[in-house]
Amino acid sequence: MAAGGRVRFNVGGQVFETTTTTLANAGRDSMLGALLDSSWNVSSSSPSGGGVAEYFIDRNPACFAVLLDLLRTGSLHVPPHLPEKLLYCEALYYGLLDHVRAARWGAFDGDRLRHAASVPGRAPGDGTAIRAAPDGGCCVAHGGAVRVYNWMLDERRPVSLDHSQVNDAVYLDAATLLIAARERLGKRDGGMAAFSAASGDLCHRFRVAHDRQVKSFTAGALAFDQDSRIFASCKGRLNEYGIGVWDRVTGEQADFFYEQPGCALGDADKLQWLDATNALMVATLFPKADNCFIGLLDFRAKNVVWSWSDAGAAASLDDKRVLHAIAMEDERSVCVINQYDDLGFLDLRSGAGGVRWSSRSKLMNRKVPGEESCYPKLATHGGQLFSSMNDSISVFSGPEYVLTSTLRRSHGGAICDFSIGGDRLFALHNEENVFDVWETPPPPII
Amino acid sequence: MSGGGPPRKRNFKIEAFKNRVELDPKYAERTWKVLEHAIHEIYNHNASGLSFEELYRSAYNMVLHKYGEKLYDCLQNTMTWRLKEISKSIEAAQGGLFLEELNAKWMDHNKALQMIRDILMYMDRTYVPTSHRTPVHELGLNLWRDHIIHSPMIHSRLVNTLLDLIKGERMGEVINRGLMRSITKMLMDLGPAVYQDDFEKPFLDVSASFYSVESQEFIECCDCGNYLKKAERRLNEEMERVSHYLDAGSEAKITSVVEKEMIANHMHRLVHMENSGLLNMLVDDRYEDLGRMYSLFRRVPDGLSTIRDVMTSYLRETGKQLVTDPESLKDPVEFVQRLLNEKDKHDKIISVAFGNDKTFQNALNSSFEYFINLNNRSPEFISLYVDDKLRKGHKGATEEDVEVILDKVMMLFRYLQEKDVFEKYYKQHLAKRLLSGKTVSDDAERSMIVKLKTECGYQFTSKLEGMFTDMKTSQDTMQDFYAKKSEELGDGPTLDVHILTTGSWPTQPSPPCNLPTEILTVCEKFRAYYLGTHNGRRLTWQTNMGTADIKATFGKGQKHELNVSTYQMCVLMLFNNADGLTYKDIERDTEIPASDLKRCLQSLACVKGKNVLRKEPMSKDISEDDTFYFNDKFTSKLVKVKIGTVVAQKESEPEKQETRQRVEEDRKPQIEAAIVRIMKSRRVLDHNSIVAEVTKQLQARFLPNPVVIKKRIESLIEREFLERDKVDRKLYRYLA
Repeated sequence: MAAGGRVRFNVGGQVFETTTTTLANAGRDSMLGALLDSSWNVSSSSPSGGGVAEYFIDRNPACFAVLLDLLRTGSLHVPPHLPEKLLYCEALYYGLLDHVRAARWGAFDGDRLRHAASVPGRAPGDGTAIRAAPDGGCCVAHGGAVRVYNWMLDERRPVSLDHSQVNDAVYLDAATLLIAARERLGKRDGGMAAFSAASGDLCHRFRVAHDRQVKSFTAGALAFDQDSRIFASCKGRLNEYGIGVWDRVTGEQADFFYEQPGCALGDADKLQWLDATNALMVATLFPKADNCFIGLLDFRAKNVVWSWSDAGAAASLDDKRVLHAIAMEDERSVCVINQYDDLGFLDLRSGAGGVRWSSRSKLMNRKVPGEESCYPKLATHGGQLFSSMNDSISVFSGPEYVLTSTLRRSHGGAICDFSIGGDRLFALHNEENVFDVWETPPPPII
Repeated sequence: MSGGGPPRKRNFKIEAFKNRVELDPKYAERTWKVLEHAIHEIYNHNASGLSFEELYRSAYNMVLHKYGEKLYDCLQNTMTWRLKEISKSIEAAQGGLFLEELNAKWMDHNKALQMIRDILMYMDRTYVPTSHRTPVHELGLNLWRDHIIHSPMIHSRLVNTLLDLIKGERMGEVINRGLMRSITKMLMDLGPAVYQDDFEKPFLDVSASFYSVESQEFIECCDCGNYLKKAERRLNEEMERVSHYLDAGSEAKITSVVEKEMIANHMHRLVHMENSGLLNMLVDDRYEDLGRMYSLFRRVPDGLSTIRDVMTSYLRETGKQLVTDPESLKDPVEFVQRLLNEKDKHDKIISVAFGNDKTFQNALNSSFEYFINLNNRSPEFISLYVDDKLRKGHKGATEEDVEVILDKVMMLFRYLQEKDVFEKYYKQHLAKRLLSGKTVSDDAERSMIVKLKTECGYQFTSKLEGMFTDMKTSQDTMQDFYAKKSEELGDGPTLDVHILTTGSWPTQPSPPCNLPTEILTVCEKFRAYYLGTHNGRRLTWQTNMGTADIKATFGKGQKHELNVSTYQMCVLMLFNNADGLTYKDIERDTEIPASDLKRCLQSLACVKGKNVLRKEPMSKDISEDDTFYFNDKFTSKLVKVKIGTVVAQKESEPEKQETRQRVEEDRKPQIEAAIVRIMKSRRVLDHNSIVAEVTKQLQARFLPNPVVIKKRIESLIEREFLERDKVDRKLYRYLA
C-alpha cells in the first residue's frame, strides 16, 4: 500500500494521483478496491524510497478522469465530447456502474422532473403498458412480446410467453420480470411466467390447479406483496374465475380466491396489495360494458372486506365512468378517474359511500376526448398523485391534491400508459410507440 | 536523378493486409494459461509476483471476446482439481491435527476465493447473470462443500470428530472451542442446509441418546433435588455450548432434546420420588429445589400442570385433615391460625419458588376454597379469630400487625361460601366487643368493616356500621343525661346505658330480670329522660348484656371492687339482706332465666379465687337444691376483682343449631328476592336456569341449596308471583 495514503495511476499514459480515501469510495467490490486490497499488495513491490506506488491501467484516461471525479465528489460531470456509452463501458470495467447510475439522476420528485430521453419503439402495433424497473430500466408490453430496456436505455432481448397477447407485466425485482398473458382459444398457452430481465430467459411458469387438476388460464392484472406472495387475476376456461396466489420462493400455487356473485375478480384490470390493511385491492373497470367493481380481499378470512360498485347507478350518472383506480399510499382511500379527467375518492374506512368527485374538467376547460384518445391512468409516489390524460401527465401534491405540475412532450400523441420506478417516470405514447423518460436532476450545487 | 534511360514502369501490387484483425485462435488458451497459473500461485501462497491489473484485464478480455463460458468452465475445473488436492492433504492429517488442517485449508481457500473473485470480477458482473451461472464466490463454496465436506473420506470423520469432541467436553475435558467455532462457522457459511444436515442432525441424535443414558443413571442414584440440579447444569452447559461454538439457531433444538430426555421422560418419577419428591419439597419448604423444579418443568409440555396437580391434591388433603381434625376444632383461634399458617407457607412457596405464577395462585385459592367450606363452622371460627385479635389485652400487637392479620383473615373470608353465616357471627362478636368495651381500637374495627364493605358491598356492613353509630349516640346521650339530671340523681349508682337500635344488633329476646331497687330508680329516671327527648320510641332493658361494678366488704373488713355482669349484680345484691339463699329463692327474686342463672351462680361460687359466694353442698355444678351463702372468707390480692361469666366462647351445640336456623331463615327472603329479580327480567325461564342464575347471583354471600330454591319457587307460586307454564311444566312464568 502506498505511503501517506497517496496512490499514483498511469492510465493509458496519463498519470493520475489520488488518495486511498478517495478510492475507498469505490468499495471493495470494485476493480479499484481489489487493486488496492492488502491481499494483492503483500510484499509491496513499490520502491520503498519513492513512497508512492504507481499502478498502470491500460484504459481510456478521459473516462478515468470522469470516474475519479465521481469518486472524489460524488457527482457525475461528463464532458460534451465524451460518448456516454463509452463512459458506461469504462465504469463497468472498474465496477463503478452502480456509482454512475446513482449519480446520473436525483431522487424522484414529481415537481422537478425533467425530460431526459425519448426512445423510439420499433413495435409493430400499439403498446399496451410500460413498467419501470426498480433500477431505472423499463419494459414495454405490446402485442405478444415485452421489450426490455436497462437503465442505460439499451434494449435487451425481448421477452414473450408463447407470443400470446400480454395483459400485464411487473418487475418482481430488477432482475425478474413477471408477465401475464392471454390464453388463445384451442392452444393451452398463456398464463403467467417469470423471466430474467437480463437475459430474457424463462425462469418459471406459474400453474393454476383446480381440484388438483392443472388448468390453462388467462392472466390479467398482476401484483405482489412485501413477503412472498404473487397475485394475478385469472380466467379459466370453465368459469374458473378469481384471484390466484403463488409463493414467490417456491413458485407453487398457494391459494385461489374464487369469484363470488357481485364481485368481478377474474377480469380485474388492476390489483394492488395494501400492506397496512393486509388486503388486496381488486379493480374491475369495464370501460364499455357491464359494471365497475372495486373491492378489498382479505385472504386470511377469504372474504371481501370492502367493496364499491356502480351497479344500479342511474343512467344519469352514465357520463361519469370510473376508468382507472388506485389505492392511495395512506390506504385510507381509493382514487378514481373518469373520462373527463375528474378525480374522485372513495373512503376505504367507511362503508360503501359514493365517489366524491372533484370536478377538475370544468376548471381545466377540457373537451370530451375524441376517438383517438387513451384511457386515463393513475399512479402515486411519495405522497404525490399522477394522472395521465391525452398527451400530458398531471402531478398533484399535498393533502388536498392540488395540481402542481404538468408533464408534456410535443410529439408522440396521447399517453396510453406511464409508470414510476427507480426514481424515473416512463410515459408510453400511443403513436409510434415512443416512450419518454423523465428524471429529477441531481440537486443544485448550492 | 539521372535523365538517361527510359522510365521504368512501376508495378503496383496489392497485397493482402498482413496483420489481419483476427484473434489468435490460441488467444483464449494462452490467456487462460496465464490466469490458471495465477490461480495456482494464489493457492500456493505465492501471489506477490502477480499483477492484479494484468490478470483483471486478461479475464476482462476473455469475457469481452465471448470466451466467458470457457473462462467459467476452466475456473470450475481448476478449482475442482485444486480442492481434490486439498482434500488429499486433509485426509492425510493424523488424529487431532485433522480439524486443524481442515480449518487451515478452509482459511486458505477463502482467501484464495476472494482473490480469484477479484480477478474475475468482470465476469461475475456481466457473464454470470446473463447466463444463469453461479457467482464465483458461491461456486467456490459449493465446490468446497462437494469435494471436501461431502467427500466420503472426510465427511464421516469430520462429523465423528466433532461429536467426539463435544462428548469429551460433556465428560469434563477441555477442548479447543475456537477451532470448533471456526468449523461450525464454516458449515454455516456453506449454507444452513449443510450445517443442519451434516452436523446438527447427528449432533441432536447423539445428544438424545447421551442424555437418555445419563438421565437413567442419574435417576437411579440421585434424589429428586440432586437430579434437578444436574439436569439444570446440563441445560446450562448446552446453552453455553451453543453460545460458544454452535449456531444460535441450534439452541432451541438442543435444549428441547435435553428437556425431553432429562425432564419430560422422567417427570412423573421425579415428582413422586420417594422421600425427596415434590411432596417432600412442599412439606419441608425447600424453596431452592422447588424453584428449580418449576423453572425446569415449565420448559416441557404438561410440566407445570403436573406440579400443580400434585400441589393441589397435597393442599386439599392436608387442608381437609386440618378442618376435620376434632382436635383442631377445640380452639377456634388455633384453627384459624393453622389455616393462615398453611396459606402463608404456600404463598411463600409460590412467590419464592414459582415466580408468582398466576395458575399456581389460582390452584391455591381453589384448594383453600374447597377445604375451608368442608367444615361449616369455618365462618364462626374466622369471626372468633378476628374477635380474639381485636379484643383488648392482646398485647404486643401494633396497629400495623393487626392490619396485616386482618388482611390475611380477609383472604380466608374470600374463600367462604357462606359469607352470610360469617356476617351473623361477626355481628354477635362485634356486639359483645362493643358492649363490654373490649375492642382494641376503633380504627382496627372500622378498618375491618371497610374491608368487608369493599369485599361484599354496602349491604353487607350497613348493620355493622349501625352498631358503631349507636355506640357513639349512646355516649352523647349519657353525657347529656348526667349534665341535665345530675342534681336529681344525687349519690345513687352511676348508670351507663347503651341504646341499641333494634334490628342492628343481634339481640336475643330475653325478659328483663328484676333489678335491685337502687338501680331500678335510676333506670326509670333515664327512661323518663330518654322518652322525653325522643318521641315514639320504646325502651327495653337488655339485662342479659350489661355489666356492673359493685363494692363489697368481706369478713375481715377488706374491701373489694367486683366487676360483674348485670345478672351477677342482681344476685349479689340479694345478699345485702340475707346471708343464705336457696337456688329457688334467688330464681324467684331475680327472675333470671334458668340457664343464665346457673351460669351466673357457677361463676360466683365455683371459680377458685373468685368465689364470693359459698355453695352447699360443694360441687362443680349448680343444682336446684343448692343453697348459697355470702363467703366471708373471700380474699384476693387485688382490690378489683373481675368475675367473668362462664361463657362458652364457642357456641354450644344447641346455640349453633339456633344460629344455623336463623341464617336459613334470613336466606329465604334473599333467595326469593333473587328469583323475583331474575324472573322480572327474563319473564319465562326453566327450573334449572333459575337455580343456576340464583346461585350465581347469591354466591357472593352464600351458596344456596337447590332444594331450598325449589321450595322458595313453590312458595312464590303459591303467593302468585310466578306460575307454571300451562304446556311445559318445567317452565315458570313471571306474573306482573
